Amino acid sequence: MLAVLKAEDVAKTYEYGLIFKKQHQVLQGISLEMEEGKTLGLMGVSGSGKTTLGKILAGLEKPSLGRVLFAEKDIWRLQGREFAAFRRRVQMVFQDPEGSLNPRKSIEASLHEVLGLLKIPSREWHDRTGDTLEMVGLSEELLCRYPAQISGGQCQRVVLGRVLLLQPRVMILDEPTSALDISVQAQILNLLKDLQKDLGLAYLLISHQPEVIRFMAHETIVIESGRSS
Amino acid sequence: MSSLPLNAAPFLQIEGLSVSFKTTVGRVKAAEDICFDLKEGQTLALVGETGCGKSVVASAIMQLLPHNASVQGRAVFAGRDLLALSEREMARIRGSEIAIVFQNPSLALNPIIRVGEQIAEMLQVHRGFSRSRSLRTAEDMASRLGLAERDKVRMYPFQFSGGMNQRVMIATSMILSPRIIIADEPSKGLDGPMTREVMAEMMRAKDQVGASLLLITHDLMLAREISDRMAVMYCGEIVEIGKSREVFAEPLHPYTAALLSCLPERGFQPIPGSSPSMIEPPAGCKFHPRCPVRQDMCMKGPKMVEVDDRGKVSSVNEGACREVRCWRY
Repeated sequence: MLAVLKAEDVAKTYEYGLIFKKQHQVLQGISLEMEEGKTLGLMGVSGSGKTTLGKILAGLEKPSLGRVLFAEKDIWRLQGREFAAFRRRVQMVFQDPEGSLNPRKSIEASLHEVLGLLKIPSREWHDRTGDTLEMVGLSEELLCRYPAQISGGQCQRVVLGRVLLLQPRVMILDEPTSALDISVQAQILNLLKDLQKDLGLAYLLISHQPEVIRFMAHETIVIESGRSS
Repeated sequence: MSSLPLNAAPFLQIEGLSVSFKTTVGRVKAAEDICFDLKEGQTLALVGETGCGKSVVASAIMQLLPHNASVQGRAVFAGRDLLALSEREMARIRGSEIAIVFQNPSLALNPIIRVGEQIAEMLQVHRGFSRSRSLRTAEDMASRLGLAERDKVRMYPFQFSGGMNQRVMIATSMILSPRIIIADEPSKGLDGPMTREVMAEMMRAKDQVGASLLLITHDLMLAREISDRMAVMYCGEIVEIGKSREVFAEPLHPYTAALLSCLPERGFQPIPGSSPSMIEPPAGCKFHPRCPVRQDMCMKGPKMVEVDDRGKVSSVNEGACREVRCWRY
C-alpha cells in the first residue's frame, strides 16, 4: 500500500550556547512509513527524541537533514494551498488535553473556531458540530461549558473533535492518554480504534507504555538516543 | 507490601465522613458516609477515578478543606477526633504525627527556597532545632532518599526533575518520623520507571520509621503492588474494601469489576457511560445507570455489608475484612 506520510533519513540537531555554539544531536537517520488505516507505534524512554520526531512529521519543526514526504512530495517544498492542505491533513494530538484547549473559549466556540478557519458557511456550523460530537461520543449539553468544567477524558474527546473537523488523513498522537485515568484511557483508545476503522486514518502513536502500543499498533519503532532500532 | 497482621488495632479510624461544598451551581457531595480504618504499619490504598472524592477525604482528615466545605463524621487518631480539634492543635499534628505528600511536587515546594532549607524547616518549626543542626539532619535524610551529593540540597526546586522534587517532598514528610503518611497521587506526572523508583524509596522510608501509609491513587497497578488493603471509591462513596490481592482476584462490586476490566492485561475494556454529576447524583446506587447487572432494587441506596471469603454476608465481628456496597450481597 502507498505510504501517506514518509520520513527519509531524518536527523535533527539543536544549537545552544550564546558565544560558544555547541550542538546537540536529537535524532539521527530515522526512516519510517505510515499507511492508511494503520497505526505505527513509536516507543522510547523520556528524552529519546519521540516528540521531536512527531513534530517533524507534523511539519511543526524542520529536520536538519533528510526529508518528510506527504503524498510523495517533500513537505518543506510545498507552497501556498498545497502546504495549507498538508497542515489540514496531518494533525497532532498532545498529551495534556486541558492545555490543548483555550480556557476562555466554550467548547462550542473552540469547535466553531476551526469551522471559521476552514471558511465553512456559518449556517452549516450547527450540523457539522453535532455530527462531530456524535463521532467522539459527546452530548450537545457540553457545548456551553468551558474546558475547566468538563473532565480530562471529555477534553481529549473535544480535542479529537477539533482535529476531525479538519478531515485529516494522518494523526500524530503524542501520549494521548498518559494524563488520563485508566477507565478514560480505555475509552479513548477504543474511540481511536473505531475512528481509524471508520475513516481509514493513519496514526503515529507515541507512548512509553508497551501495553498501549501492543493494543493499538500494527508495527512499532523503538527510538534509543535518537536512533531507531 | 508489609507482612503485618491485618487484624491489628486501628490506628486511624474514619467513621461516617461526609463532605460537601457549597458552590454557585449547587451543593457538591464530594464524599458520603466514608468509613475505613488504617492499622499500624499498614498501607491502605484509596483508589478510584479522578474526581471521585479521594483527595477530599485526605484533606478532610488534615482539616485542609476550604471554607465552603461542610464536614460531618469522625476521624479518630490516637483517641482524638481530628475533625473536632482546633487549628492550633491540628497544626501540631500536621507534619509531626500525620504527614501529607501532595500530588504536584513542583507546586507544593517553594520555588525560591533551596530544597535543603525546605526539608530542614520542619525540624526548626516542630522540634526547635537550630538551623545548622536541622540542615545536617535534612542532608542525611535527603541522602537516604537518593539525593546523596552535598550540592543537591543547595539547589532550588526548578533545578530538579519531577522525580527529584517528589523525593524532596517525601524527605520533608518523613523527617519528623510521622506515624501516618498520606500520599496523594505520589506517582502523578512521573513515568513508569520513575514511579517505581520513587515509591520504592517511599516504602523503604516508611518502614524505617514504622509509619502507616494512606495511598491515594488512580494507578491500580501501583495500588496492587504496594498496598495491603484497598478501598474503591465511586462518586464520593466507598463501594468495596478488602485485601488488595483479593479485590484484584475477585472483585465483588460491579464497579470494581468494570474498573479492573480497563486494565491493559484485561484488554482495555471501557466502562460504558460517564461518571455522574456530584451535584445531582443518581438515586440509589450511584453506579446503577452504568451497571451491567442492575435490578429494580438498585434505585434504593444499598448499605455497606461485610462478606466472607465465599461472597456471603457474614455477621459483624467475625473477622471478615471484605465489605461491599451492593444489593447482590
